[in-house]
Amino acid sequence: MSPLLEIKKLGKRFPARHGREPSPWVLQDLSFSVAEGEFLTIVGPSGAGKSTLLNIIAQTDTASAGEILLGGASVTTRDPRALKPGIERRIGYVTQDDNLLPWRSTIDNVLFALEVQGKLDDASRARAEKLIQAVGLAGFETYYPHELSGGMRKRTALIRTLVYDPPIILMDEPFAAVDAQTRTQLQADLLRLWEMGRKTIVFVTHDITEAIALGDRALVLSKQPSRIAAEHTIPIPRPRNVKDIFALPGFAATYEKIRADVQ
Amino acid sequence: MTDVPATMADVASPPTASRKWLIHGGRAALALALIAGWEYGARTLGPLFFAPPIETAQRLWALAVNGQMLSDIMATLRVAVAGFAIAGIFGVILPFLLRRSPRATEAVEPAVLFTMGIPKYALAPWLILWFGIGDMPKLVVVTLVVFYIVFITTFAGIRGVDRRLISMARVIGASERRIAREIIWTSLLPFFFTGLKIAFPRAVSATIVGEFLVSTQGVGRYIEGARQVSDTTGVFAGVVIALALVLAINAVLNGIERWALRWQPVEREMEL
Ligand SMILES: Nc1ncnc2c1ncn2[C@@H]1O[C@H](COP(=O)(O)OP(=O)(O)OP(=O)(O)O)[C@@H](O)[C@H]1O
Ligand SMILES: [Mg+2]
Repeated sequence: MSPLLEIKKLGKRFPARHGREPSPWVLQDLSFSVAEGEFLTIVGPSGAGKSTLLNIIAQTDTASAGEILLGGASVTTRDPRALKPGIERRIGYVTQDDNLLPWRSTIDNVLFALEVQGKLDDASRARAEKLIQAVGLAGFETYYPHELSGGMRKRTALIRTLVYDPPIILMDEPFAAVDAQTRTQLQADLLRLWEMGRKTIVFVTHDITEAIALGDRALVLSKQPSRIAAEHTIPIPRPRNVKDIFALPGFAATYEKIRADVQ
Repeated sequence: MTDVPATMADVASPPTASRKWLIHGGRAALALALIAGWEYGARTLGPLFFAPPIETAQRLWALAVNGQMLSDIMATLRVAVAGFAIAGIFGVILPFLLRRSPRATEAVEPAVLFTMGIPKYALAPWLILWFGIGDMPKLVVVTLVVFYIVFITTFAGIRGVDRRLISMARVIGASERRIAREIIWTSLLPFFFTGLKIAFPRAVSATIVGEFLVSTQGVGRYIEGARQVSDTTGVFAGVVIALALVLAINAVLNGIERWALRWQPVEREMEL
């Protein structure tokens, strides 16, 4: 089966600022592919270019070199005005910043996607309500973003994308701002949702444990200019119990291998 | 007087009720001080230079009773509000049109900023030549005065919109119209209201100055008529009416703003 998403020799450098050194390559010669229904995790140190990579895949930013294929067809462009963010709603993107609309309450932020897509009906409303329950935001539906905690905002942003069910979802450290216990819970919920619908997920994190607990495969990004330093297939069978992931056979060895690759 | 800072510090935190009283008390004290100064001025300089408050109040009462106040206010408001509305619409639409085209912006913006330097009031005689002595010359002046303020504040608002929100909306599949209407428009509302609040008193002033030159009606006409016969009390009464007009409209604008921005954190109480 040909991969759903293919990244080929991707490179990125930001335009140089006046009076600064020409900017370095943030990404260079970066290649990988994602199969349909795969849960891919990407680990890399801070500043490696993980968010930059996801921005390019989601087409909120241009690549400077290389090519991206979606379902076998090239979707690459160098012209910022020709970008098609989210390429016809096929790619959902949970950004590192929550990017909630400050004038919309929790529920209205979640419904925003459905609203603009004209998919707002009783069924989708019920689905939104269920997701709000699932991530523990019940009771906060009418709160505005500035009245929520950082972790609650991220959870709202997460389900805003989940609710409209795009076939590919990019996630940029969605659980970075929550406590360990909530995080395990959210990871378990995400896995449950994924196992039900089998979306294709590209999940960026700097937490090796998380990369192992969630992924079918984990890529390791090197420092700048960033490329794929290593690739690990996670040998732990599903369904996985995220809470006891440490105790599962294969975890310790995989963890050690990945840690050695992350400088 | 000296213990006021101490009391302010005391009530700064929770009890909002007493804080409200402090604000109202402060306003009342300020108003009293103003009237006292006014009275003092009248007594030392004489009624020709400074109309006494009581006489001004009596004049206002007389104007209110015989209906002239209302008809003058309506005449002034008619022009001020019409000019304000026309300028408001164009001042908002133009930045929205320019938003998507950096090149058009580069072409138009300098022209706008350059013509802003034209002294609008000085155009009035020339406009009278063109449009005669109806409402038209005043309307043009008011529109010009307001337009630049709304244009500049709206443009600043558009430039300040969080691009990441727009990116997010595009990824989700929102139409450009939706983005303009919801994200850009809502984000720039605080700027827009600031513009309106700066512009409205100017619209009233511009109308009044216009009425000095040509008119048969209006608050400016009344002030000018009083001035010509050295009726200082009349001048003062007219100024008070103009002030009250601006205050009233500002209160309305504030109300609308509070309603439109009700989602914002309650910043009014915040100390920066
Ligand atoms: N708009 C920009 N202009 C110039 N340089 C940028 C821009 N955005 C990112 N960079 C640079 O690209 C590099 C990678 O940034 P990026 O945000 O992708 O890192 P990251 O891997 O997501 O890090 P983190 O884990 O901290 O989120 C950084 O060195 C940063 O300085
Ligand atoms: Mg990042």
